[in-house]
Amino acid sequence: MKVYERLSQAFKAEGTTHVFGMMGDGNMYWQYANQKNGIKMHEVRHEGVGMGMADGWARASRTPGVCTATCGPGTTQLATAFVTAARASSPLVAFCGEYPVSDDEYTQALDQSAFAHGCEAAFVRMGTPQDADEAVRKAFYIARTQSRPVLLSVPLDLQQKEWEDDEPYMPSTAIIPKRTVAPNDAAIKQAADMLERAKRPVIVMGRGAMWSGAGDEIRALAQRSGALLATTLQAKNFLGDDEYHIGISGTYATKTAMQLLSDSDVVVAVGASLNRYTTHEGLLYPEAKFIHIDPKAHVMLSRGKGADHYVQSDGKAGIAALNAELTKRNFKQMGYRTGEVKERLANAWEDRQEYKLEEGTLDPRPMCNMLDEMVPSNVSLFAGSGCTAGFTNILFRKSRPMCMPGHFFGCIGQMMPAAVGAVISSGNKPAILMDGDASTMMHIGDFDTMVRYNVPLLIFCMNNQCLGAEYYKLDAHNMQVETSCIATPDLGAVARAFGGRGALCRTIDEVKKVTQEWLANPGPMLVDVRVSRSVITLPYRRIHYGEDV
Amino acid sequence: MIEVNERIEVSSTPQSVWAILSDPTAVVECVEGAELGEKLEDGSFDAKMAVKFGPAKVSFAANVMVNYDEANKSGSVTARGRDKISGTKFKTDMQFKVEGQDAVAQSAIPIKAECELTGRLAHLIESGANLVIKRMTASFAEQLAERCGGTKA
Repeated sequence: MKVYERLSQAFKAEGTTHVFGMMGDGNMYWQYANQKNGIKMHEVRHEGVGMGMADGWARASRTPGVCTATCGPGTTQLATAFVTAARASSPLVAFCGEYPVSDDEYTQALDQSAFAHGCEAAFVRMGTPQDADEAVRKAFYIARTQSRPVLLSVPLDLQQKEWEDDEPYMPSTAIIPKRTVAPNDAAIKQAADMLERAKRPVIVMGRGAMWSGAGDEIRALAQRSGALLATTLQAKNFLGDDEYHIGISGTYATKTAMQLLSDSDVVVAVGASLNRYTTHEGLLYPEAKFIHIDPKAHVMLSRGKGADHYVQSDGKAGIAALNAELTKRNFKQMGYRTGEVKERLANAWEDRQEYKLEEGTLDPRPMCNMLDEMVPSNVSLFAGSGCTAGFTNILFRKSRPMCMPGHFFGCIGQMMPAAVGAVISSGNKPAILMDGDASTMMHIGDFDTMVRYNVPLLIFCMNNQCLGAEYYKLDAHNMQVETSCIATPDLGAVARAFGGRGALCRTIDEVKKVTQEWLANPGPMLVDVRVSRSVITLPYRRIHYGEDV
Repeated sequence: MIEVNERIEVSSTPQSVWAILSDPTAVVECVEGAELGEKLEDGSFDAKMAVKFGPAKVSFAANVMVNYDEANKSGSVTARGRDKISGTKFKTDMQFKVEGQDAVAQSAIPIKAECELTGRLAHLIESGANLVIKRMTASFAEQLAERCGGTKA
């Protein structure tokens, strides 16, 4: 057996069923072995897209995503996707070929260790053929235990050596203990003391709350303590059906949410990093004390601060213990859960600002409201991170199997790949992606990949024919906005040219019609929706125009 | 750096306007969200100032020093402040002058100021802060005009 064949066996034993990437001479033999081993390859048109798909797979399934690129120039294409995956804490292994150890002057030579470190990824190198098992195990061990991407670098010539060991491969899962981090009793009692004294508590749920399955316990705690529910951006719409759910805490909060949160006296944060955006630099919660529940030893908050009370615990276990302690104390209160608050929340998402629309464009706000209403709750939602995210992240409110926004690295263009990977991880369940035109154009070549693998993803490209974030910044500074304007072709026609379905819509009725058609028969589709530049998102109206909205 | 270069015109005599501007308490009362505290040994004042950037309120604790040149009916204000929650700091240097003819109910107050916001919030609020400060300047002009017994011209 060749080393590349053993490497493939090792990946299979680690649970790899799908690989995303592009073939080159640094990974082609390994890919060939993967095919023989029944691992499905998704060939993409850009290596970074392959990594983005593996990132989406990892975010959705919480199992390591796997991607591949050839040595040197194939590997450097991974840069933005690598940093994005690192910021998303995605467990991921990138199998990258490396220049031959016997040829220092190889054209595609690159210091891939330095590259990985620059991309905030871990680095594992197979230094000798005998290290094949250990290198794969270590890469998956790091990905699983540190929840981060790993570049596994394998020199071309070493892949061709003979593998002589006949021992079965031992996967990393065999050495990683499965334990839930249980809370300390004294820490729970102190948290219960704080909640008993609180009059207006808020529970902020992050991805850790979702991943730990804490939903039912959080609902019970909210009802007992009279708490409002809010999420971080990344846990968007988690428990969204609760009548006292105020949406996202942070930049994408509504004005009503911001007003309510500013009165809170205790925040219980569950599996949330409580970063500067979630707390709006602390200004959302000027008077509140923080109880922070997270399985990590400790989490440092923005500006080097810590929570008033930290409970190291799995989210579900921590909230369950808190519920049990409060039940023992017979504690129950209305808190925020009053008729008056319910009434305020009923109209919280309305934005009545009127704008004059350019001819042939539509207002993205009613379109988002319509799509959230008409797309059933079993269809997942993905949101890009450009200017249009200000509509999607606020106006889509329905709980769905996955509601996945971007923003991890503040880059555009990364959500289409992540959405495709996540959809594939779900067994190809239908999903929609709301994104902007610059993002869509960035990786439109991989719409072809969606078509080849028949991925049931409907992309709504909110096309304002400009770089939206920059357009509004230039406008606010009284500079020439035209500098940021770039026309696109009819993207619906482009999608059809790739062999998928596509449409160009200029009215909400047209959007409704194509959505109905797609819902009846989901598949790869791109809808170019011409949206007005006049309509500005709430966050931009606050940030760039200083509006109190 | 946010620059303010405004000229406020009010229908009051220069003497009336100067009477207001030469009283730090009266001036601060014209600034929405501002409150003057104790006078310190060096002649400066403690002050508080709440500014709304969007729906979020930033509460600055500040130190304000006012210098007057009575002969020229001009002055300068230097203020430094910090918001404890967000860590946002501001620094302002402002010069003003009262122009007009004695006993004529028409005065102009040219104001030049430079305001610098630092800290992470400053990056977040970007150009919006510029507009907020310009709106505050306009509001100050309205209040000053009203206090002078005239109207903003």
